Amino acid sequence: MTAVTTERPSSVPSGPGPARARAGRRRASPLLAGRRRLFWPLVLPALLVYTGMFAGPSLFTAWLSLNKWAGAGPMEFVGLRNYRRLFADPVFEHSFVNTLWIVFGVGGLTFAAAFGLTMVLREMRGRKAARAVLFFPNIVPSVALSILWGFLFQYGGLVDSVVKALGLQHPPNWLGQSDLFRVIAIGLVWTSTGFYTTILMAAVDQIPPELYEDCDLAGAAAWQKFRHVTLPLMWDVVGVCAVLWTISAVKVFEFIYTFAGAAGQMPDASVWNTALYTYGEAFASDGVPSYGTAAASAVVMLALVGVLVGLIRRVMRRDAVQF
Amino acid sequence: MAVTTPGRPTRLSTFRARLSAPRLLGVPLVWLLVAFNVCVGLWMLLSSVKSASEIFTDPWTLPHSLHLDNWARAWSQGQFGQAAANTVIVVGGTALGTLLLAAPAAYVLSRVATRWNGGLIMFFTLGLGVPAQVVVLPLFVVLDDLNLIDTLQGLCLVYIASSLPFTVFFLTGFFRTLPVELEEAASLDGASPLRTFAQIMLPLARGGLITVLILNIIQHWGETVFALVFIQDTSHQTLSLALLGFLQQMQYNGADWGGLFAGVAMVVLPLLVLYVWLARRIIEGMTVGSVK
Repeated sequence: MTAVTTERPSSVPSGPGPARARAGRRRASPLLAGRRRLFWPLVLPALLVYTGMFAGPSLFTAWLSLNKWAGAGPMEFVGLRNYRRLFADPVFEHSFVNTLWIVFGVGGLTFAAAFGLTMVLREMRGRKAARAVLFFPNIVPSVALSILWGFLFQYGGLVDSVVKALGLQHPPNWLGQSDLFRVIAIGLVWTSTGFYTTILMAAVDQIPPELYEDCDLAGAAAWQKFRHVTLPLMWDVVGVCAVLWTISAVKVFEFIYTFAGAAGQMPDASVWNTALYTYGEAFASDGVPSYGTAAASAVVMLALVGVLVGLIRRVMRRDAVQF
Repeated sequence: MAVTTPGRPTRLSTFRARLSAPRLLGVPLVWLLVAFNVCVGLWMLLSSVKSASEIFTDPWTLPHSLHLDNWARAWSQGQFGQAAANTVIVVGGTALGTLLLAAPAAYVLSRVATRWNGGLIMFFTLGLGVPAQVVVLPLFVVLDDLNLIDTLQGLCLVYIASSLPFTVFFLTGFFRTLPVELEEAASLDGASPLRTFAQIMLPLARGGLITVLILNIIQHWGETVFALVFIQDTSHQTLSLALLGFLQQMQYNGADWGGLFAGVAMVVLPLLVLYVWLARRIIEGMTVGSVK
């Protein structure tokens, strides 16, 4: 007993440097050793479920995309043939273009609206209440939102009556082939703007107000304040938002799928994006399900996310402004 | 005098800023958007107790008579009752199962330094970018092997696996913000590491755990892609499938808009109650990680 107690205090100060002392403490601490024994038992259950039911299947999809498979029976390796068939399919091409429209077109409008709202909300009375209401669509299931949105544009529905009140006698058939995708796109802007506005507002709230007071003293216009103070100071957050948007934009499914409503199994192919195409190839096509092409389309989705996120990180990378 | 003068131009210019064109246009526009959201909600509720023709002819008036039969019809014929029960089971099971797996993993990933931590956290985080469509095909085979196709348990398992990336990511971040001293004190008092985790860390992390639980519930309340693929029988369907099924039925049985709105209201109202009760927590939970 006494040997231990006398030895320990003498050994710590005799260490030649702080690094040595830290290493010594790490070796001695029973707390860390005990916790290290805990590491794998606590990580493994989550890791196994995640690997077996999520990460593993993702990899398997990549393998599946190189094979021909009808759901049962042996798989036949066909190399890149699924991809060649995919890119030769005009429906896929159209779906892919639609996905790009959602990522860039809807994304552009959403971010413009979110920035605009952030700027106005920054110094507005009742901003908390306004923000809470604008955020709410974000937690409502897309199926419900899509039904409400679609109903607004029904023939003789609310939008028609507003348009007629404004003097247009023959409102377009909003849900017809030519306009449906635009209606869907605007709906997506409506449902996603609140989320990004909230994130941007949280970032703006961290900018010291003195900077804006300085701008006021210098007589800066609203746009100059935004361009030279707000934007540089929240650049990192904008980058995060862009990544989040890219991921969720490629995933958009329910909001479009629900527009099948009165038309049967799937909505009109003109409004498909790659997510719907993948689902359609695998589960809803009339003939034999083509799992190979579906997998290839899924891999294209994943690759699109990967490429875009990589690009965003490259474009957004620059020295963060310290404040 | 010397003190007051510097303040003056500021006040004058903020006054001018208040009247500037962007604000004059912007503030009413914001309230217009807010009003739009509120109106859509009110209109949904009003329409759910109106007759089908009234929904079109008088969208903005109070209903002439309360058509509560819309709700009854949706609940029984539209099978929203069964679907609501299924959804509660699946969503509850998923939320608890996810926490049970993710909390211990996130704890050691944030607190016990081994050479694996960085890689494992990265591995989990990468899952955030994987769309459901990518995993759905092989998952079908896996669930088929386990005889879990078209069961609530199977759907639960899929939901748990797919929510692990976000939950682990969120909770590792959260555990890092907690003080280390209490753990050290507990172990000096002779508590085993497992006990330290269960009795010291979990109560400390209660705020983060509850937030992630609520977000999980919200996320799965209306989940559609996985449910569409893995649930086939209407007696096992969840709320989003019941809504889609109701829409498809209207094709054959004629447009039952009142019933449809009642169904939509059944999906949205529980979330609205949760939101009114916990708005701050939900908003912060979903957004705070991106700023800090």
